Amino acid sequence: MSGRVGQSEVGRDSLQPRVVWLEKDLEQLVTRFLRRKQADLQRLRAALLEADFEFIERVGHDLKGAGEGFGFPELSVLGAKLELAARGREKELLDVHFATMERYLKRIQVRFN
Amino acid sequence: MRIAILEDDASQSELLSHWLQLAGHHPHAFEQGANLLRALQNESFDALVLDWNVPDLSGVDVLRRVRQQLHSSVPVLFVTGRDREDDIVLALREGADDYMIKPVRRLELLARLEALARRARHLQEQAEVLEIGTFRVDCQTRIVMRNGRQVDLTAKDFDLSVLFLRNIGRLLSRGHIRETVWGPNAVLTSRTLDTHVSRIRNKLGLTPEHGWRLAAVYRYGYRLEHLDQNAIQRLTADDPKAAA
Repeated sequence: MSGRVGQSEVGRDSLQPRVVWLEKDLEQLVTRFLRRKQADLQRLRAALLEADFEFIERVGHDLKGAGEGFGFPELSVLGAKLELAARGREKELLDVHFATMERYLKRIQVRFN
Repeated sequence: MRIAILEDDASQSELLSHWLQLAGHHPHAFEQGANLLRALQNESFDALVLDWNVPDLSGVDVLRRVRQQLHSSVPVLFVTGRDREDDIVLALREGADDYMIKPVRRLELLARLEALARRARHLQEQAEVLEIGTFRVDCQTRIVMRNGRQVDLTAKDFDLSVLFLRNIGRLLSRGHIRETVWGPNAVLTSRTLDTHVSRIRNKLGLTPEHGWRLAAVYRYGYRLEHLDQNAIQRLTADDPKAAA
């Protein structure tokens, strides 16, 4: 497979596992990326408690930039939403986006070929 | 190509480096603008890939200093999440050669970088045979002719000669030379590099009396210059050894 973005099978139910196929040589990078995003989620929630919208905007910005490159276009979309909501200081909306991100990271099943 | 990446997001930086490595390039990642600028004092690169939002100096600040203070024309590609028209216009007006909005696609990024490098290099660089002054360099057979006579060169001497002849007038850092000729993982003393440079200077006659100067730039690297008549007269009037 020559493309960088994996082929995905999107489940009908948001709780169903979502399988993403990626190239084998990306395994280490992707594993590290997803681990970082899990850690980001904790930091994002802490930042919201402290009303640190700048931090959230920055994390969202980075997620927007990197997600699709790693094969997760949904994370890029989510990153853009986080960035926008942080800029507008929309606490409730940010909570919703964090939940979406958490759900996505839980559902994701990456396979390498 | 030797490419510097300014990107503070570790994941994005790793991904860009990975893509560039897969394509046969040599990426050098920097998280902070100041660190990249410091490196540029001692190193040369074939292209810079700049993110806009990084700690300390922004990508645009770095670009301004590269153009205005370092007077460097190194190709610069912006890779940033900033997608407003005025940001794009500002970066291009400050001297960026191209602009990509994240998320970027691998093949497009590589193609754009290659296009930038192609434009920046002399057309000769693409040629299999370089004809430069009294030199004729056949990259296929790896033979250098000077005034119609073959010059006896080792493999490394040949690679070094081609690197200089393809970059006439351009200041090349020691790191750049080492990486291009000996490879990214080579361990090489400064003295070894100097010895090779000295050897090709002698073998190819890259001295003022022949219209050339292969000049060492203190603590940085070397630059091959094709001299005009005034420069030849001025330099040969002095001690030719000192001029070289």
